[in-house]
Amino acid sequence: MATQAASPTIALIEHAEKISQGAEAKIYRVQLHPAGSSNDASPVATEHILLKYRFHKQYRHPTLDASLTKSRVAGEARALLKCVRSGVNVPGIRMVDAPEGVLGIEWIDGKSVRFLLGGGAEGEEGEEGEVDDDSTEDTAETEEDPLQEFSITQDSVMELIGTEIAKMHQADVIHGDLTTSNMMLRLEDKAVDLYVLERAFSSTHPQSEPLFAGVLRAYEKKMGKEWPAISRRLDDGESRSTARPSGTALMLCVSETARS
Amino acid sequence: MPGRVKKRSPLKAPDRPYIALGLEGSANKLGAGIIKHSTDGSTLVLSNVRHTYITPAGEGFLPRDTAQHHREWALTVINDALNKAGVSLHDIDCICYTKGPGMGAPLVSVALVARTLSLLYNKPLVGVNHCVGHIEMGRQVTGAQNPVVLYVSGGNTQVIAYSQQCYRIFGETLDIAVGNCLDRFARVINLSNDPSPGYNIEQEAKKGKRLLPLPYTTKGMDISLSGILTSTEAYTYDKRFRPTGPSAEDGEDIITPQDLCFSLQETVFAMLVEITERAMAHIGSKEVLIVGGVGCNERLQEMMGVMAKERGGNVFATDERFCIDNGIMIAQAGLLSFRMGHETPLLKSTCTQR
Repeated sequence: MATQAASPTIALIEHAEKISQGAEAKIYRVQLHPAGSSNDASPVATEHILLKYRFHKQYRHPTLDASLTKSRVAGEARALLKCVRSGVNVPGIRMVDAPEGVLGIEWIDGKSVRFLLGGGAEGEEGEEGEVDDDSTEDTAETEEDPLQEFSITQDSVMELIGTEIAKMHQADVIHGDLTTSNMMLRLEDKAVDLYVLERAFSSTHPQSEPLFAGVLRAYEKKMGKEWPAISRRLDDGESRSTARPSGTALMLCVSETARS
Repeated sequence: MPGRVKKRSPLKAPDRPYIALGLEGSANKLGAGIIKHSTDGSTLVLSNVRHTYITPAGEGFLPRDTAQHHREWALTVINDALNKAGVSLHDIDCICYTKGPGMGAPLVSVALVARTLSLLYNKPLVGVNHCVGHIEMGRQVTGAQNPVVLYVSGGNTQVIAYSQQCYRIFGETLDIAVGNCLDRFARVINLSNDPSPGYNIEQEAKKGKRLLPLPYTTKGMDISLSGILTSTEAYTYDKRFRPTGPSAEDGEDIITPQDLCFSLQETVFAMLVEITERAMAHIGSKEVLIVGGVGCNERLQEMMGVMAKERGGNVFATDERFCIDNGIMIAQAGLLSFRMGHETPLLKSTCTQR
């Protein structure tokens, strides 16, 4: 309907980086505030969001498709909101454009539970699913338990899953398509805390590198087993934008069939 | 992950030609087919004969009458298949029959024929799962390697993929089968059962213009269809419904049986394509194979084709000879398992309805 001169939403998608294509939507990563439009000092300006674009399905009758898309986007947004209010760990909503089929949610840095339990990553475009692939390649690389990075046991992950689903159901939200691909484990960023502190040191106390190293030494000593994972993330050096409370959190990603 | 498994086939090339007779009678079609596997690995359909029990418009087929039909036609159909193939029962390596799932009485009457032939000619029996028969024949005809299978017929609606030595169901109907939904609606608007109610719905749908709102009930990879049937039926009680088409004084706002066929097909098929796409995304496969009687529907094939193309994949479908229940698919699946060393001893040559 509104696609004659690309709407702002569609324009946003055109600037976005496509991450993957699921069964019914294309997933993009984009900056909500494009570079230049914000004052550079604020770290929030660089926030990335995830766009879930339910594009038009050619096989479906246009009328049916339009009404389905609209009600699904709205339904998902409503369910997410309800979850947020009830304290379920779900990504926050950043934008909704139901007629265009676009839902923007908080970007979660984490890994899907499916991946962490050794079920492989979700179908990337192209490479996977080719029937002629040598299946040996995939199975060979089991050197490291992916859960290590999160310093959490499989049992605790299961517990987190049960707890989150219970919270969601107590809020009277039915997910409709719960799978291990729809759950993400995120390392709530302890590394970010350190990173922010490091920057605070360097800006307010120039030439303070040795001082901060002292902080890190003590931190490492106290954190023990948890340190390697945090250290790795700190070394990643990416500009982490926001500091979050500590702990490992499980996020439920609510899907199209969710209803409340 | 089923989508990417490519193991060397455990089945060795045959050391001599094998011939199998397949008998199918799980619903209202009685089929006999003869298949040949040659030493060069090729597969040849020698004959594929079918006789359908057609009931008057507005009526479905009942188990007892259907079994009666199969008993009456069994010898004719089998003889016909043998004659067309130019083989005698002495040349055959095994007799394959449908073990299930299906209607009890028709299944049992055909199994009885299979058992009798097995004893008369001293040939081994092979019981075959009906669904696997459809899939194996579909793979054989189309050359699809490891597809996501949409099996849609009067009794079954399933999304299937091969994983860890088994065909596994990823999604299915939670209530009635899609063919059942279409057939029953055909009865509501009194469409003929000849050649099949589904075929006649397809033809009517081509004349439909108006898409009426119907429930859209996908649940993950499953679907529910009974409510859609009820809702479609409810439109026939609507004041705007014109069972015999528009009359001279009618305006735009009327509902014809053609509109209902069109709306029903569009809605139900969109749901089927959606759950199939979901399974493809889940598994990471790019091939779809449509089997079962509803698989003949060209609109469904078209929609599936569009979806597969959007994903950079292919759709494989067969025509009515192989889509609709037939004997050859039982022969094909049965012969494959016979060559793997499987036989059904007489004492275990039972049938299962599900």
